[in-house]
Amino acid sequence: MSREEVYDIVQETIMDVIPDVEKEDIAIEKQLKDIGANSIDRMEIVTMSMRELNVKIPLMSFAGVNNIEGLVNVLHENVNN
Amino acid sequence: MLLNQGIGITGMGIVSSIGDNITTFTHSLQQGISGIQTKEAITKPPLSVTIAAEIRNFSFVEKLKNIPNVPEEKFKKAKRLGQRAPFVIQMTILAALQAWTQAKLFENTVASDRIGLVVAGQNSTQNYQYNLLSQFVDNPEYLSPRYALEFLETNQVGVLSELFEIEGEGVAVGGASATGNVGIIKGHQLLALGIVDVCLVVGVPADLSPLDIQGFINIGAMGGKTYNDQPSLACRPFDKKHEGFIYGQASTSVILENQKSADQRVVASLAKVSGYGYNLDKNSSANPNLTGEEKAMKTAMQNAEISTSDVNYINTHGSSSPLGDQTEAEAIFNIFKNHTDTVYLNATKGLTGHCLYTAGMVEIIATVIQMKHGFLHPNRNLKNPIHNELQFCGKVATKYTIQNALCNSFGFGGINTAIVLENID
Repeated sequence: MSREEVYDIVQETIMDVIPDVEKEDIAIEKQLKDIGANSIDRMEIVTMSMRELNVKIPLMSFAGVNNIEGLVNVLHENVNN
Repeated sequence: MLLNQGIGITGMGIVSSIGDNITTFTHSLQQGISGIQTKEAITKPPLSVTIAAEIRNFSFVEKLKNIPNVPEEKFKKAKRLGQRAPFVIQMTILAALQAWTQAKLFENTVASDRIGLVVAGQNSTQNYQYNLLSQFVDNPEYLSPRYALEFLETNQVGVLSELFEIEGEGVAVGGASATGNVGIIKGHQLLALGIVDVCLVVGVPADLSPLDIQGFINIGAMGGKTYNDQPSLACRPFDKKHEGFIYGQASTSVILENQKSADQRVVASLAKVSGYGYNLDKNSSANPNLTGEEKAMKTAMQNAEISTSDVNYINTHGSSSPLGDQTEAEAIFNIFKNHTDTVYLNATKGLTGHCLYTAGMVEIIATVIQMKHGFLHPNRNLKNPIHNELQFCGKVATKYTIQNALCNSFGFGGINTAIVLENID
C-alpha cells in the first residue's frame, strides 16, 4: 500500500472523528490538535486508522509523532511489514 | 429550613416510540397509540420475545435539526458531542435540548453554578458494550479510547454539563424501574436544600442487550408470550390477561425550578411538584411490597400537605406484571377506599411499553400533559380489570381536570416511590 493511500485513510478517519473538519482543512504537515482534535480524538484517530489498515502497532511507536505526516509514516512502515 | 414550597416544572422533553417531542407524544396519548411493535432487527442470538416499543429510524442529526429555538452555536456543540456518541447519549441530548428551550434557559439565563444536573439512569451502555464484544474478542487493540469515558454512567453528566454549561452539582442516580422518579426526587431535594435554583433532570433510555432481555425473560418478568404476534395487545396493565412487562425505549427531561427563579425569568410553571414519598422495603428480590407501596403514596401526600380526597388521578406504575399490578391495585384500594369513585387510574406503559429507567419520568411528563390539556389517556388493552372497585380509564381518552396527581414508580430491590403533581392552572 502506498503512503498516499495510507494518508487517504487517515484523512477519512480524521473526518469521522471530528465531524466539523473538511478535507481541505487537513494538510499533512499540520498537527492534529491544530485542526481541532483533543487528546482523546487523537488517540481515536490512531486506533481507528490501525483498524482500517488492519495493522496492530504498539502505541509506544507513535511516541515521537508530532504531526499527521509522522502518523502516516509510522502506519505506512507497518502496513508494508 | 427546606424550601419545599413552589418547586415546579418549567420545561419538558421526550423522545419515545410514540412521539419524539412533547407535541407528538401528546397526540399519541390522546389517541391511545401504542408504540409496541415487532422488533426491527433480529437479535443475535434470536430470543423468544420479539416485540418492544423501540425508537425506530433514529437519526440524531435529523432529530436535532427539528428542535426549534436552539442557538446556532449550541446546535453545533450538540452535534459535535452527540454525532459519534452511543445511542443513549444522543437520545438524552435531544430530550434535554427540548426541555431547555421550553424553559427558555438559552435566553433568560441562570448563573451556571445555580444549575444542577441529575442524570436518572443506570446500566445504560449494556447494548453498546454487547455490540463491541465480538470485535473486541478478536482485536482488543482496536477498542476506541473513548470507550473509557463512554462506559461510565457519569459520561452523561459530563456531556450534558458541557453542552448546557452547568456548574452546580451533578450526579447519576439509579433506582431500577423507579429511576425516573428517583431522579425527580433527587432534583427536588437539590432545590429544596437551596443548593441550586434550577435542575435539569434527564432520563437515560434503557438500551437493553440481548443478555439483559433474556435475563428478564428467565426471571419471569417479561411478557410477550400470548401476544407475541399481536404486539399492540401485549401490554395489558391491570387486565386479567396481563403477563409481564413489554420493553420500551424513551429519553426524557424535565427542568425543575423554584418559583422565585421562574418568576425572575418570567417563565411559566407547567405544574408543581408538591411532594414525594421514597422508601425501601428491605428486599433484594423482584417482588413488590404492599406496605412499601402504601407508605410511598401516603408519605407523598403528607409531604405535599394534601389528603386522599385531594387526589383525583393516579398515574400507576402499572407494568402489566401480574403480581405487580395486583399489589399496586390493592395498595391504592387500601389508601383510597372511601374515594375510589373520584380517583381515575391509567397506566402509560400500556402505550409506551415499560421504559425501565425512564418510565417514571415518561409518566410524570404524561401526567403534566394530561393536566395541561384536560384529558386522561386510555387504557387501550384493559378489558377485564383485576380489581372491580377501582376507577380505571376506558378505551378512549376522556376530558378531565386533574387537580392533584399521584405518580407511582416501583423497582426491583424494594424501591418504592410516589410523586404528587399539583395542577396550578
